[in-house]
Amino acid sequence: MNGWRDRLALDLRAARARAFVRVVGTLREPQGVLLDAVFPNLGMCAYVLLYRGLGAPRSFETLAVIGGIMTTFWLNVLWGMGAQLFWEKQSGQLQLFFAAPCSRMAILAGMAVGGLVGTTLRSLVGVALGVWVFHVRFASFSPGVLIAVFLATMAALYALGMMLASLFLLYGREAWHTCNALTDPVFMLSGLYFPIRTLGSVGAFAAGLLPLALGVDALRQVLMGPAAHGLFPVRYELAGLCALAVLLLVLARLSLEHLERLSKREGRLTQRWQ
Amino acid sequence: MSLRLARLRSVAWFGWMVEGNWADPVLFGIYVVARPLSVALILALMYRAVRGPGAHGVAFAGFYVANAFHSYVDRMIVGMGWAVFEEREEFETLKYVFTSPMGLLTYLAGRSSVKFTLATISVAIMLLTGWFALGVRWDWARVQPLPLALSIVLGLVATLFVGFLLAGWSLVLARSAIVVLDGVALVLFLVCGVIFPTQLLPWPLPYVALALPFTWWYEALRRFLLGAHTNALLAHWSDVAVLGGLAATTLVGSLLSLWGYHALERRARRIGRLDQTTMF
Repeated sequence: MNGWRDRLALDLRAARARAFVRVVGTLREPQGVLLDAVFPNLGMCAYVLLYRGLGAPRSFETLAVIGGIMTTFWLNVLWGMGAQLFWEKQSGQLQLFFAAPCSRMAILAGMAVGGLVGTTLRSLVGVALGVWVFHVRFASFSPGVLIAVFLATMAALYALGMMLASLFLLYGREAWHTCNALTDPVFMLSGLYFPIRTLGSVGAFAAGLLPLALGVDALRQVLMGPAAHGLFPVRYELAGLCALAVLLLVLARLSLEHLERLSKREGRLTQRWQ
Repeated sequence: MSLRLARLRSVAWFGWMVEGNWADPVLFGIYVVARPLSVALILALMYRAVRGPGAHGVAFAGFYVANAFHSYVDRMIVGMGWAVFEEREEFETLKYVFTSPMGLLTYLAGRSSVKFTLATISVAIMLLTGWFALGVRWDWARVQPLPLALSIVLGLVATLFVGFLLAGWSLVLARSAIVVLDGVALVLFLVCGVIFPTQLLPWPLPYVALALPFTWWYEALRRFLLGAHTNALLAHWSDVAVLGGLAATTLVGSLLSLWGYHALERRARRIGRLDQTTMF
C-alpha cells in the first residue's frame, strides 16, 4: 500500500465514492431537484425582463441568460464546496474524512466532480428557459472551443471551491456570513448580468482574480461573438483560466495542509455550534 | 400586554445574539453592507450598459427604490423560515421553544425584529448609495409623507405575516426548506415587478400579481416617494385607490397567512416534524 500506484488507486476510489454520494444526494429528492433547478433561475428571468423593460437590444437578454446559468455554478461552489466541510463538521462526519487513509484533496476533488455533474444537470433548466421562454439567440460557435472554455472555467471555479473549503475548516457559524457576503458581490464583480466591460478597470482587475468573471466573459464571447462586448480575446481568457485553475489547485492543497494543522492544534475539527 | 412585550424583547435580544454575536464583527459588517450595495450596483450597471453613463430616468429610480425595499421581504420572510429550520435542525431546540409559555408565534415575531433591523440597514445603504453615488434622487416637494408612511407600515405588516406563513411551511418541510425559502423570495421579486413593469410578465401573471400586497406596496412607494408609477395595470388608479388596494391585500393576505401558519403548525405536530432532523 506504499507505492504511488496504490496511493493513486486509493485516491481515485475515494474521489469516485465522494462524487457518487454527491450525485445520488443531489437526485435523491425529486421535489428538491425541481425546486433547486427552477428557483435560482427566477432571478435571471427578472433581469432579462428588466432589459426588456429598458428596451435593450436582444443581445443583452442573451448576456443575462448566460450569466444567470453561471450563477448556479457559483452557488454550488460556494455552498456545496466552500461550506461543505462546515456542514460535515456540523453533522459530525468531518473527523471521518481526516481519519480516512486517502488524501483530503481526493475527497474534495470527488466533491467537486459530483457537484459539477449535479449542477450541470440543474443548469439545463436555465438553458431551456433561455431558449424556449426568452428565445435568446446565439451566434454560430465552435462546440470544441465552447467545451474547452467551459471545462477550464469549471476547473478554475471548483479549484477555488476546494481552497474555500479548506479556509472554512477554521470557521464556525461565520461560514454562513462568508458565503452570503461572497454571493452578490461576486455576481456584481463578475458582471453576471451585464458586460464586464461596463465595470471598466475594476472589471479587468476582477477578471484577473475571479475565475467566474473570466469564464463568463469567455463563454459569452464564444456564444455571442462581438455582441458579448468581451474584455480580452477568448484565447487569452482561456489561457488565464487554465493558469488560474493550476494556481488555485496548488493554493488549495497548501491551504488545506496548513489549515488542517491549525485546526487540529486549536481543536476546531470536531467543534460544533461554535 | 407588558408580558408579551417583555417576551418579544427577550427573543429579539436572543435573535441578535444568534445573528451577529458569533461572527467576527468586521465580517458581519461586510455581510450586512456588501450584499445590498452589490445588488444596487448590479441594477445601476445594467442600466448604464444599455443607456450609457448619465442621469437615470424616473423609471429606473422607481425600480431602484422598490428593489431597496424588497430587502425587507428578502430578509424577513426568508429569515423567519430560516429561524424555524435552524432551531429544529441545527440547534435541535425547536421543541423546547414550542413548549415554552411564549409559544412559537411570539418567538418568531421576536426573531423577525432582528431581521427587520438588518433589512432597515440594507434599505438605508441602498437609498444613500442611490442618492449620493448613482443619481437616484427624488423631488422632496412631490413626496407625500403621510401616505408614504402608511404604505411602509402596511408593507411591513404584510411582510411579517407572509413571514409567519413561510415559517409554518418550513415546519413541515425537510432540507428542501433552504431552497423553498429563497425561491419564494425570488418568486415575489419576479411576480411583484420589483425591477420591471409587471405587464411584461406572461398572462395571467400580471393579474395574479395584483392579488399580492407587495405589488401594491412597490407601486405605492413609487407614487408617494417619487411621484411616478410603473405598473400599467394600475396607471388609471388614483393614489387613494392604490393605498386602499394595498390595505385590502395586506388585510386579506395577513389573515390568510395567519390561518395558513396555524394549519401548517398543526400538520407539523401531527406528522411529527417538530423535532425531526434531516442531517443538517
